Order: sequence, then structure tokens, then C-alpha cells
Amino acid sequence: MIPSAPKTIWSAKVNGQDVQAIAPSNAILLDVLRDEVGMLGVKRGCDLGTCGCCTVLIDGEPRLSCLCLAGQVEGQEITTVEGLAQGAHLAPIQTCFATHGGSQCGFCTPGFLMSAEALLNENEQPSRDEIACAIEGNLCRCTGYQQIVDSIEAAAEIKRGDAPAPTPASDPHPNPHPEGPDEPSMPPGHAR
Amino acid sequence: MNHRCHLVMQGDLMAGGYRQQPGASSAETRKDGKRVAGKQKFPPPGSGGSRPVMAPRDLDSIPESVGGKEPQPAGSHIHDRYRTGTEVGKPRALVDSHAKVTGQAWYGDDVRLPNEIIGKILRSPHHYAKIKSIDTSKVEALPGVLAVATGADAPNTFGVLPVTKDEHAMAVEKVRHVGDLVACVAAVDEATAMEALNLFEIEWEVLEPVFDPRKGLEDQDEPIHWRGKYHVGTTNVQKRVFQEFGDRSLVDDPTASSHGKWRMEGVHHGFTEPHAVVAHWDPNGRLQLYTPQQVPHYAHRALSTVLEVPMHQINVIRTFVGGGFGGKSDPFPHEMCAAILSRKAGRPVRINFTREEVYWINRGRHPSYIEVKMTADEEARISGFDIDALIDGGGFASFGHVTSYYNGVLATAPYELGSFHYTGARVWTNKPASGAMRGHGAVNTRCAVEVGLDEMAEQMQVDPIDLRLANLLPPHSRTISGFRITSNGMREALERVREGSDWDSKFRQMPLGKGIGIGCGFFISGSGLPIHWDPNRFPHATVHMQIDMDGGVTVHTGAADIGQGSTTAVAQVVSEVLALPIEMIHVRSHESDTSPVDLGSYSSRVTFMNANAAIRAALDIREKLLNAAWEMLGYHPDVLVLNDRRIYYKHDPAVGVSYLEALHKAQEDKGSLISSGAYRSPPMGGVHKGAAAGLAPAYSFSAYVAEVDVDVETGLVACTNVWAAHDCGKALNPLAVEGQIIGSCHMGLGQVLSEKMVYGRTGHLQNPNLLEYKIPSIHEMPHVTPIIVESSDPEGPFGAKEAGEGPLLPILPAVVNAVYDAIGVRIRDLPLTPDVVWKAITAKCKALDGIDETELPSPRLVHSPLQPTLVARGQEHKERDRKRQRSEDTSAYVNGVLFGFDPDRPLEDQVEGWKSAVEPVPEQLAELGLAGKAWLKKEQRQMGGDQ
Repeated sequence: MIPSAPKTIWSAKVNGQDVQAIAPSNAILLDVLRDEVGMLGVKRGCDLGTCGCCTVLIDGEPRLSCLCLAGQVEGQEITTVEGLAQGAHLAPIQTCFATHGGSQCGFCTPGFLMSAEALLNENEQPSRDEIACAIEGNLCRCTGYQQIVDSIEAAAEIKRGDAPAPTPASDPHPNPHPEGPDEPSMPPGHAR
Repeated sequence: MNHRCHLVMQGDLMAGGYRQQPGASSAETRKDGKRVAGKQKFPPPGSGGSRPVMAPRDLDSIPESVGGKEPQPAGSHIHDRYRTGTEVGKPRALVDSHAKVTGQAWYGDDVRLPNEIIGKILRSPHHYAKIKSIDTSKVEALPGVLAVATGADAPNTFGVLPVTKDEHAMAVEKVRHVGDLVACVAAVDEATAMEALNLFEIEWEVLEPVFDPRKGLEDQDEPIHWRGKYHVGTTNVQKRVFQEFGDRSLVDDPTASSHGKWRMEGVHHGFTEPHAVVAHWDPNGRLQLYTPQQVPHYAHRALSTVLEVPMHQINVIRTFVGGGFGGKSDPFPHEMCAAILSRKAGRPVRINFTREEVYWINRGRHPSYIEVKMTADEEARISGFDIDALIDGGGFASFGHVTSYYNGVLATAPYELGSFHYTGARVWTNKPASGAMRGHGAVNTRCAVEVGLDEMAEQMQVDPIDLRLANLLPPHSRTISGFRITSNGMREALERVREGSDWDSKFRQMPLGKGIGIGCGFFISGSGLPIHWDPNRFPHATVHMQIDMDGGVTVHTGAADIGQGSTTAVAQVVSEVLALPIEMIHVRSHESDTSPVDLGSYSSRVTFMNANAAIRAALDIREKLLNAAWEMLGYHPDVLVLNDRRIYYKHDPAVGVSYLEALHKAQEDKGSLISSGAYRSPPMGGVHKGAAAGLAPAYSFSAYVAEVDVDVETGLVACTNVWAAHDCGKALNPLAVEGQIIGSCHMGLGQVLSEKMVYGRTGHLQNPNLLEYKIPSIHEMPHVTPIIVESSDPEGPFGAKEAGEGPLLPILPAVVNAVYDAIGVRIRDLPLTPDVVWKAITAKCKALDGIDETELPSPRLVHSPLQPTLVARGQEHKERDRKRQRSEDTSAYVNGVLFGFDPDRPLEDQVEGWKSAVEPVPEQLAELGLAGKAWLKKEQRQMGGDQ
């Protein structure tokens, strides 16, 4: 059994927020993110770095949080799936995973989203092969990857501006009643 | 019909949408003060009837038979008249996809309750051993330990099938495999719980384990389980099956024959979410259990039995399920453990599995020894069809009773057979239990059978696709074992993959190392007999619906969405029937407290049964709304049209009411509208023992063509292209169907090329992790072209059948046949890892006088005179099938007509040798195959034991 390590205060910037957590000095980043910071969107699939479900961005680079000590990324900028959306508006990559079938059971999805986001931040027009190389460390048992690649391609198009940005209908709080001639389009509760 | 179409379409021609006219007339109220229908101000925005503009009807999504433009090559459907063009047949994002892409979907490990503690399980280090004593005193003394439990705390047995309840929460008398549960402990944190596991003091008596299923057929000193008077000798045989149908004399003098002996390794589901469970006894003494279950209802039943608490005192909460594929469909011992620990500790207990523990609980596909003998007669009809399947069940029964049947009976279609002979046996061994996995029981034998057909086609020098096309059962027919086939898109699937893959210019014409192959599939769309059969004839699926004043529809169902999109399918059909946007439909399916009983996500039953129940519930609401509109408008429901939150007179769309107006009218004096719908499969099937295994209200069909590259110098097989045609009846959501087809290819490719559970010489599982258990990554995936075939099933919801499991079947034989086309070697050891392929290539080279592997001859095909005969027969049958599909020909058709029998008279009366047997006669015993040897032993009751 691993001897218990002294607890220290761990601090980092998670999804744009400065956070501090009290954790053993040998804590795994995945455990800290899930149990101390509360980012349950980071999934635990294997604890061995084989499935890619726990992928997060460390200063923009995709890393497996199960193979990373929290202490190694002290003070750095960490982005998890919870940090992708802008408020209530989903990022293009999120919308496209929904509309193109990139997510079935959804357990591997956060990992894929982070790997894809890192790719799209570097390469605005990736080929299907480049996409494949970017997500080769992520396992998906449901989709057979094809619709995931479709999703990433579609998101790249939106990011480049070659395709229209997601319509309100793909917002997490869509207006079920698209615009009519004499009725405002926003649902109740939204600022006009 | 035409007259009616014209009238329906009047309003639809106004392409810009029809504008309601609020206040266009001053007479909003009549003299008596009542409101005039269709002339009312709109309710506030955000509610169902708020929009002033009604969208035009989507005629492209309304079938021809009711005046729309959606083509119906397979004929009209009973649900056509409820189509509103709103949702069915449109590619849709899953309704829960936003929860998934934002990380908010809550899986088993994401349930965090206040004051929770961590449970850990002590697992057996021995393959097979008796527990002489367990001393827990040191564990209990460890500070931080709050509860300890052993098998003595829960002596009741459980199991997913009522006939084989052979599991305990924790081992009671003996452990049956390494990793079997021995005890469990709950502590304040994980580290303490882990430490506590080391403090159990157990005295073992180690027994002689059995790993090889062939050895399990022999008498043992200490069988792994004891079935009392039904135990077969003193062997480890858990279930044996014998079935024989047809005319065995047809097998004599075959024109072609194939005899293949297969060895298939066990494979695991490989879902990405490890099992996790949280149990919490609430202050009222009720158990709240959170678990990612495919089949929450059976877990519910088992919990009740084991904990000795009535079902209504247990609330099973299904979390999001991070992939199931059959691996989360048994009631699991760790679910019981969490509940027991929580009851003892008085606090919520969470148990998370490591990936290794996932492999210990297993329930994956059975490691199998399969032998298939097939013969064809002079007209290339399949005269003989013998299957022998010995399957390795591991330590527990799980679904194995059913698997034993499925290995044989699900091979009886889509071809017409002269005779069918099946012997199957499932044997307990000291390994983690096998169970149900996507394509349950049908995958391995299907592969063997399709490869056998390929071999016979080669002997007869005919095209394997034409051989299949000339031997298919038609729609609305019966298989040799009595299954009722309704819709059947097999022929179209074969034709479309042939065209899509450019088969005719590739097959047997490609250079060495490149190959193309065909495989077909046949699978049930919902098990016709519920596992927990009960004499009250409870329905298989029930759906409740509720609409309150705001117009939103809440649907309660127990169907478990495991990522396949069953919740979306339910929302879609309700949306379609009521002509409401899908955002207004809210499906609640997580809690057993609020959802009606549903048998769960197994046997590809959910879309078929649950959506049918949902349609019935929605129709009830629809009727209430139309009756309210009738009262308001004065037009009978028969002449009212539902479209986009409006109900109007079909000859004049200006006369109508909004959905909300009709709803509020219907709610007068009653409050919210409530309805319930149920589905139960019709009575069907034969009367012989085991006739119910494999019965389904509908069957799916599929045909795949795979293209492979084989590196003859290393034996590495790469699948490059797959054309995958699947008959799903009607694609309610084509995006989801395509996702299921591609995903099935992925899983099947894993089994055929790389995945296996490796048990070493000492019987230890050597690769219980995702590094050494090789699931294909994106680089191993071919390009898949999904082809959706729609045969419109008469009993399916809007014609739909399953698309979740059937699509997995054909990929295995398609790849194996393609490898033969590439290198001329038939390999019958799965998976086709490079070492296996390379050995086969070397052996072949040696047999050909030691030629170099790069000089291997590629197989070539010169058509024999039989080929044109087969093509002609296929063409003839195509016309026959078309007529039967469209009900232009409603005559009876049973397996055997191709061999000249009269379908209207019992076959036994027509042929002297026509057989229908479920037990071997003594003369047969000597010639039975490997699994057939299970019949050499007598049951205990016949030996006078355990009466």
C-alpha cells in the first residue's frame, strides 16, 4: 500500500478560475479534479493511460490526467470539458458532436472533445488523417470513430467560418419556437 | 385514395406556412359568451400554441399511402396514418447529447452523496476453493472501517434467468474463479478500505480447477455447481441442447460440402465506463440504489430477493450508462454488496470498479469450439446444416441458458434449409463468467456458417452472393424451427452491398494480398418471451404520458438508454404522433419509483417494444385532443389534421385550433392529461422444448462486404473498406442507425482481428486491461459505408426493427472470407492475429512444395453451368419476395417449399423422414460432435440421484 503523503495546498487555474485544494502531495491530477475541484466531466476509464477518457488541456496541450501528478501542473492553466462552453452557448465542437453522432453513450466524449479542441486550436483545417492522429489515444467503443471524425471536421468548418455558427436551436436552452413574423424569438427568461 | 390526397394537400401548398388569424374577425366571442374557435389571441410565448405561423407539413416525411411524398417501396404501414412528418425518419441529435458534450451526464461514478463512504471488495486469489472460515475481527478493529460483510450476510441466490439462479452476493461456500467476490468492506476513505482488505484471515481448501470446457464435459469429483436432479452426471455441463428438424435424407450425395472446426476466443464488451454503484438506505428505510444498469428491473428483482426487502421499498436509479453491450445487463453481486454495506453502516456507500475488476466480472462473449457441417444438393440448395457448439460459460450461468440455444437456432435463417441439426452445450469452468454480449450467441456460429457457404460456393464454382440470393427465405414465412419471419430486407441488402462495393469486378480478381468477402446476418428484434415470464401476461413494455397546462409532454418509461438512443426514439415517436417539436417532449427513465416496469435494454428489444408502447400512449392523448377540437370546431376527428402545434380542418387550414386551445379544452374538469400504453408480443412459435428461444416479433437482416489487405510476409490483416447494409425496418433516426452500424463494425472487427481474453497455462486471465486487451483504435478502422435498408415491419413502430446488435454479425465472416480471397487460406481460429495468419500462410506454402509466400496463388473463379441457373432462380425469387412483401401474395410459406413441399400440409405427412426432435435417440449418440458428448451422460433423476 502506498504510504499516505502529507497534505499540501494545491492551486491552479481550472477553466479560467483560480482554485485551491487540499490534497496529498502525491495526488493524481484526475483524483484532484474530480474529487476536490468537482469537475466530474473528467472521466475515469482505466487509470492506466489507455482509454483517453480523462484527457484535459494543460496550458492548451492535451494530457492524460490519470498519468499526471497534480503537483506537476501546479499553477498551470487546466481546461476540462466544463470549460468548453461559453456560458450557455456550446462551443462548435460540442454542438457538432451532438449533431453528427460523435457521442453515443457519451462516456468517452469529454476526452475526445479535449483532444479535438487542442487539434483545432493548432490546425484550423485538419485532414481526416490529421484528425485520426489527434484522437488516436482515445478509445471509443460505441461509434467506431467515423462519426467522431465527421463531427470534428464539421466543427473545424464552423471555426474557420466556412459554415454558419450553430443556430440557437443547438444551444443548451433552445427556443423551440423559431422566429415568427410578429413574435420575438427569445424564450421567456432571456434578455431581449 | 387520390381524392383524399388532393384534399389533404390543399393547405400544404402554401409553402410559406399558414398564418393563423387572431382577431381577424371582431367576433372572438359568441353572443352567449363562448369563445370562437380559431379566433383567439395567442397564449404567452414559450408555450405550445404560441406561434402565429404554422410550418408547412413536411410532405417528404409523410408516406405516400396517406398523401405525402415519402416513397414506400415495401408497401404501406399500419402506423402511416399517425405520421405527421415531424420527427420520424429525420437524422436527429440524441436528446441527451447536450448533457454528454458538456460533461454533465452523470454516470455511476459521478453520483456523490453527502456523507458517503467507500466500499471495496475482497476477491478470490484461488481459481476454485472452499472457504473453511473467514475471520473479520482484525478488519473490524481497524479505525475508519464502518462495515464489513461476507457471504453469510446474504445467503439467498440470484441470477438474471429465473431457471439458473446460481450467484451469491459474496461466496457462501466456495469461490469459483480468481476474482470471485469473497467479502467486502466500507471505510471512511479508499486508502483505509484498501488496507482493510489485507486484514481478512481466511482458511481455504483449494480444489482442482477446470479451465478447458472440453474437460468440463467429463465427470468431476467436485462439479462447480450442483443442479440437483437435473444435474448431468457429475459433469460441469450447465445446459445442453439438441435440435433436429427436416429431412436428413437430403444430405446424401451432396454436390458440395463444407466441414469447419472453429476455435473462437472469449471477448469482452470493453465499455469505457467501469462498473460503479452507490447505495443509500434513506431515513425512511428505503434503499436508493444508483447503478449504470441496462436492465434495472432484473437488478431490482434480485436486490429484493437477496436483501429480503419488498421491491417497493427499493428505488433503482439508473445513472447514465457509459456503454453496455450486454455487459451491464446482469444483476451484479457488487450492487448487493453496496446495499448490504450501506445498511450496516447507515451511510451511503460507493463502490467503484477498477478496470481489472471489470474483467473479473466479465459476462463477455463465450469462448467457443464450433463445428459446422454443411451440404448443398445438385441445385445448390442447402440440404444439410449441422452445428455443434461447445461454449465456455465460466463460473456462473448468467444468460448462458439462452446462449446455448442462440448458438444454433439463430442460424436457421435467412436461408431455406433441407435439414437442421444442432447440438450445443455450455460448460462451467473456473474462469470469470461469460454472458450476453452484443449479437448474443449468434455471432460465432453465424461466422462459421457464412464461411461454410463461401466454401461451398467455391466448390460449386458459383458466386457466393448469387448462391445466397437463390436460397433466401421470403418475407412472411417460417423458418425450419418455426420462427415467424415478417418483413425481410435480406435480398435488398445483398443487392445493395454488391452494387456499392463493385463486387462483380473485384471478387476473385484481385492480386495476392488483396481480398473481398461477403457475410450476412440475422438477429432477433426483441425477445418474444420475457425472461421473467409470468402467467399474468404482463406487457413487455409500458409507457406513461402526462401533459399539464403548459403543453409540455412528460413521458415515463423504464427503458434504459445505454447510448443507443432509446430515449431519443421514444421522444421522436411521441413527437411524431402529436405533431409537437421534440423539445416539448421530456422523457424520464431513470427511476424505478416513477417509471413503469420495462424489461430493459437487451435482445435489441427497446425500440421495437418501447416505441410501440409509446405510440399507444401518444395515440390515447391524440384522441383526447382531437375530441376536444371536435367539440370546438364541429368537425369529426377523421377530417382533422395535426401539424406543428395546430389542429385544423383538413379541407380548410384556416379553420382550426392551436394545440394549447385543444389541450385546455381537453383538460377542462380533469386537469392534466394522462395516458398509458403497453406492448406485448403476439403469441407465436412452435411447441417443442426450447421453441421460445430465438422467438421474436420481428427479425433484422444484414449483409456486409469487407475489403482487406493481408501482408503475406507478416500475416497482418488490415480491413480497409466495409459496405454495410442493414435492414432496420424503418430508420426512425438515420443518424443513430448509421452510428449503430459503424459501431457494430468496430466491435466485430475487434473480435475478428485483435481482441481476445488470454488465459495462461495456469488459468489466469493475463490481459485484464485496455492496453493488452486490444480494442481497435481509429487507425484500425476501415471506412464504413452504412446502407440503410427499410423493409417496413408490419408490427414495428412506424415499421422499425432493431439496429443495435444485428449489424455486428456479418462483419466477422465478411473479413474471414475476404482473407481467403486475398491469400487463398481459410483460417478458423479467431481472432486473426498476425501470428495465426502467418502460421496458416507458412503451412500453405509448405503444402505447395515450399513456395515463397509472395508466390501464393490467389483464388480465382470460373463460373460453372450452375451459375446461370442460380441467377435465374434468384431473379424468380426476387419477384416472389416483392409480391409477398407488398401483400399481393398472401399464401403460406414455410421452410421446405424450395425443396418441393406443400406449405399447407404438415411436412411430417409429406416426407417420411421429416424430423422434429429435441433429444437424441440412442443410435445417434455415437456420432454426435464435441458438444453432443454432453448427451452421453444421464441426468441425476434418471440415475436415481437427488430425487
